Amino acid sequence: MEIQFGLIDFYLVAPALALFLFSCVPLLIKVLRGNVEQNSFATLVYGYVGLVTAAGLFAPTVGTERTAFEGALVFDGISSFSTAIVLFVTGIALTFARDSRSTNPRQFTEMVFLLLNCSVGMLTMVWSNDLIVTFVGLELFSLCLYMLIALSLEEKLSKEAAFKYFVLGSFASAFMLYGISFIYGTVGSTYLPEVFQASQNLLGTNRLFLIGFILLLLGFAFKISVFPFHAWAPDVYQGSPTPLTGFMATAVKAVSIAFMLRLVAAQAFTVERVWPFVDALQWVAVLTILVGNVGAFRQKSLKRMLAYSSIAHSGYILIGIIAAGIGGASMLGATGVMFYVLAYSIMTIGAFGVLHMLETRPDSDLTIEDLRGLGSQRPWLALCMTILLLSLTGIPPTIGFFGKFILFSAAVKQGLVWLAIWGVIGSIISVYYYLRPVVAMYMEEPLLARSNSDSKPMSYFAVALLAFLVLAIGLASEPAVQVVRASLIKVF
Amino acid sequence: MPGIEALMHIGIKHYLFLSAILFSFGMLAVLLRRNVIVMLMGIELMLNAVNLSFIAFAKESGSLSGHIMVFFVMTIAAAEAGVGLALAVAIYKKFHELNIRFFEHLRG
Repeated sequence: MEIQFGLIDFYLVAPALALFLFSCVPLLIKVLRGNVEQNSFATLVYGYVGLVTAAGLFAPTVGTERTAFEGALVFDGISSFSTAIVLFVTGIALTFARDSRSTNPRQFTEMVFLLLNCSVGMLTMVWSNDLIVTFVGLELFSLCLYMLIALSLEEKLSKEAAFKYFVLGSFASAFMLYGISFIYGTVGSTYLPEVFQASQNLLGTNRLFLIGFILLLLGFAFKISVFPFHAWAPDVYQGSPTPLTGFMATAVKAVSIAFMLRLVAAQAFTVERVWPFVDALQWVAVLTILVGNVGAFRQKSLKRMLAYSSIAHSGYILIGIIAAGIGGASMLGATGVMFYVLAYSIMTIGAFGVLHMLETRPDSDLTIEDLRGLGSQRPWLALCMTILLLSLTGIPPTIGFFGKFILFSAAVKQGLVWLAIWGVIGSIISVYYYLRPVVAMYMEEPLLARSNSDSKPMSYFAVALLAFLVLAIGLASEPAVQVVRASLIKVF
Repeated sequence: MPGIEALMHIGIKHYLFLSAILFSFGMLAVLLRRNVIVMLMGIELMLNAVNLSFIAFAKESGSLSGHIMVFFVMTIAAAEAGVGLALAVAIYKKFHELNIRFFEHLRG
């Protein structure tokens, strides 16, 4: 067997290579200076340069349909769209991380290194066209995340969160790997096109393959914190440093959902044997929405509230994944999922960004009371938070409304009316807990005087940018949806 | 005797059965034990059970890719053990305890 690959393959993976190289630069400088931390702004600039280089190398490959390294990696609509989201979210998270109270100023270099390598793992996963590459990518970003959580300056909660995430994450990925081994055993390969080709036949006849496929989906269900596997999310999200929570809640979910979309694009759900499983999946989606919304309803801590809300949003996205997987008009469902992932990433990391700007100690855990009177003390920040929360609720001119609209209309078109109804019910419940902070910011008297001394200008800019994007993409949702649809049309 | 016959010819089913047993043991160790180190051992056991099933399938089908996958999984398992033990050390330094029954600060 002759293995052939050329320069074009290296060109296609260049964004990941660039990210890795630039992540090493600040670390190398720190080592050469005798383990003395350099100026954190300089470190941040290296991170940005890496991200911008990666984006520059990635931009010309948008729109191509290629595979690289003997088909181990694939570059299509799903991967380029997710690559853009990952690079953008990493940039925002880097900005927040430097300003965060819980970032150890003597370990910022390590943090940048781990964050950039985290996105290398994510890129590997969304590009992967072979299950073992998927697994390597998944483990790469998961391991980086465990360490990033434990790096926090606040020690008690973050250590606990890191260990919980580590044990449960490794547990889930062991199950996923077991599923991959079953798929390998029945198909004789882990190459995704071959697996998909065999899946139509094998899902109906081979029980081992069915179990393998379900275990594989379970691994991703854990990562996006779907109902029976959601319990870790509030704990881990609360214990992690806030910028990192935003990063975990968005980038990890975005890449896992992108990969799930690739799995359902094979139309495995149309096999009759899998129908009971699809029915179960619909119930899982409904329960995820309910658990997320009801859980968020009774939280005091804003971080926990957003964690439960992110569970609910996974439920909405799951509706779209089911709509995309059952054949027929699957295109609308897939477009809805991709567009909603974009919307969700922008608004969620923005909301966590606002929270991190209000934190005063490494271990502060903000509640609704801490937001009181923000509207008069820091009006622009309160405005950004309001826009982001309205978008999370799904109020019309924002991106969140159009995302939900496309998802639910896809479900209705596929005959899943009851799922759409549950989605709407969930959104109605969510109005209460999303608007309560808004009420507190504008209508209640402040409890304590807030000093304006640490304004964190870069985080401020990032949050304002995200709030602006929420409105701008919301107002221009028609062309944005067209872009998403055009990028997905070759996959579905 | 058929019983001895079945034991004499060790086939793929035996390997898969053994790997399933090892996997369940690892799972039980993670779920039931409350010691950080034992939980890490459980995770390693699960990954190695998967390795065994990869090897059995590769032997059965005669394709090489299963063997290659085992190398990938071994590397990842080593990395995971590294991170896990580092976390265990950090936890011990902070709590002077390797039992996770003290882990109940995150509730609500």
